Amino acid sequence: MHAIMEKAARGFAVLGGMVLSGLIVLTCLSILGRMLNNVLFSDAVQGLAPDLAATLIASGVGPIAGAYEIVEAGMAFVVFAFLPLCHLHGAHASVDIFTSALSDRTQTVLRVLTALVFAAVVTVITYELAQGMMSKQASGQTTFILQFPVWWSYAASLVAATGWAVIAIYIAVARVVEFASGTPILPEQAEPDR
Amino acid sequence: MTDLAIGVISFPVLLVLIFLRVPIGLAMFLVGLVGLTIITGDTSVPLARLKSETYTTFSNYSLSIIPMFLLMGHFATLGGMSQAVFKAAESFLGHRRGGVAMAAVGACAGFGAICGSSLATAATMSRVALPELRRYGYSGGFSTATLAAGGTLGILIPPSIVLVIYAILTEQNIAKLFLAAVIPGVLAAVGYMLTISIYVRLHPDAAGTKARVAMAERMKALVAVWPVLLVFVLVVGGIYQGWFTPTEGAAVGAFGTGLIAFRAGGLTRLTLADSFYVTARSTAMIFFIVLGAAFYNGFLALTQLPQDMAAWVGGSGLNPWTVLVIILVFYLLLGCLMDSLSMILLTIPIFWPIVQGLDFSFVSMVELQSARLADLIAAGTDAPAALLAQAQSLLASGQELSRDMTREIGLRGVSDGALNRINIERTAIWFGILVLIVVEVGLITPPVGMNLFVINAMDRATRITETYRAVLYFVASDVTRVILLLVFPIITLLLLPL
Repeated sequence: MHAIMEKAARGFAVLGGMVLSGLIVLTCLSILGRMLNNVLFSDAVQGLAPDLAATLIASGVGPIAGAYEIVEAGMAFVVFAFLPLCHLHGAHASVDIFTSALSDRTQTVLRVLTALVFAAVVTVITYELAQGMMSKQASGQTTFILQFPVWWSYAASLVAATGWAVIAIYIAVARVVEFASGTPILPEQAEPDR
Repeated sequence: MTDLAIGVISFPVLLVLIFLRVPIGLAMFLVGLVGLTIITGDTSVPLARLKSETYTTFSNYSLSIIPMFLLMGHFATLGGMSQAVFKAAESFLGHRRGGVAMAAVGACAGFGAICGSSLATAATMSRVALPELRRYGYSGGFSTATLAAGGTLGILIPPSIVLVIYAILTEQNIAKLFLAAVIPGVLAAVGYMLTISIYVRLHPDAAGTKARVAMAERMKALVAVWPVLLVFVLVVGGIYQGWFTPTEGAAVGAFGTGLIAFRAGGLTRLTLADSFYVTARSTAMIFFIVLGAAFYNGFLALTQLPQDMAAWVGGSGLNPWTVLVIILVFYLLLGCLMDSLSMILLTIPIFWPIVQGLDFSFVSMVELQSARLADLIAAGTDAPAALLAQAQSLLASGQELSRDMTREIGLRGVSDGALNRINIERTAIWFGILVLIVVEVGLITPPVGMNLFVINAMDRATRITETYRAVLYFVASDVTRVILLLVFPIITLLLLPL
């Protein structure tokens, strides 16, 4: 079971990483286009080769229209896709100097409670995101420049958010079973990296 | 119970949850959610906010700088840049007394110029520098302390992720904050090197010696760091010059370092997936805290607590410097317990309205008018030369120009409102840099500083108590620097044009 969860979380992280890389390349291309466009419109190029400049500009050398919107929509998916791995590895920032003084039993109980509340919160977030998606779908709202429906990007995020909710519920159930049976299921938490 | 009372109670409740090891983002989210429910009397308002707020928080264009910078730092390591920077610093400084440790600090500063996180810088440089330090006979505690302190340069020297968050919270210009961090960052590196040279004089057996490196070899090592320099100049310079937005700059940096890593053969399918995993964990952690903070701060704003507190401090007649010092001491104490990002997200929405109301009068009307007059003359004006000369002599003698006179000359941007805006901006930038440094001191303060644990875990042979003892010298250097920056705001504000 844990191996499947690990695989799924890693899959989401790689997917998110690939989308992030895509957004990075897109942004760089847009900057390049804008700079070339500025050069083509400059006095020097307009004086030397006006025809060439006009052809290139007409063929679409310029900033990518709506790159900003794609980055925003994509980034929401990236963050949601990154959350399952963070959650599974217990990489959320927390302060543990005070609890380390508590007894093992108290610490375990706290951990179970936190995992349960966390799972509930993530489920609510995912559910409300779905509600949000449906209201965007109903209103037919589109983005300003590219005119694509806003609910599309909500839907992409929702897929990843569902993965996050599944992982959060898995962690909570595992913590409860661990507590009831006394045998560890989840590996010891690794050193947090940030 | 009034809304204000609920707001006041929420803070200790939040702290208790955090100290019970509830993830910081979750704690803020919960308290915000429950608080909103109590105030509005029903769950529909907070839940309705959730419909779109999670999505809009995660898709914030300015915040997308964060995963890009994180990926960039990882690519830089894969491209061997951490190694190259350390080798170059070592070839120049290594033969001095304590020189290898100085080189480690220099390398941290260099790597900090392409990496925006403190722990990442500390961990990355340790992998490179710790073995070298031990090889040349540097004592364990001294080595780990040097690297833990050096790591804090990563967050100070731009680009810095925490500064990005601060800029968004206080609605300031990211480029100006980056620029303002440069001098304090260099000052920090120099301070640490001085600390090292004092330490090795007090503890002569803490450091071994290393042979001098020939000039030709030094040059070779220096040439090898060109990619670091190129990326830094392109990203920070480009953002400041207005060639691109901070997010675009981060994309250029990530792309550039990715290319360098690929060319150096460090980027394979396996390492790429690994970079994604590390970036994923850090990005998700940061964004979840941002989400929790957005909820908590939304609730606080409804209770009017930040505004009321600011009004109370403003009306109390307290000296602005006293208020500032109290806030900084608070940060220093809390910084020992919490990471800098969570702390800034948690407290800036409360403290910034207070600090914004304090009057430090960085710029006077005479200075502003002089600067604008110089701009006007440089740009060319058809105002009579005699009038301009009269205005210049008035300003030189410290007198303000009258409104009629500024109108006659055609001087723009010299209203009281403009002056106020400039002063608030300078306060925001100066305060931001001070807070950033103070919370970073927390990262290396025994017994809880997080950098100390990360580095100590990499050197099993060294007891943590040895690290504690040595790091106190660096903490002293930090405190000295904070006092310097506090007493002389001009150090931070020098590079900012009026």
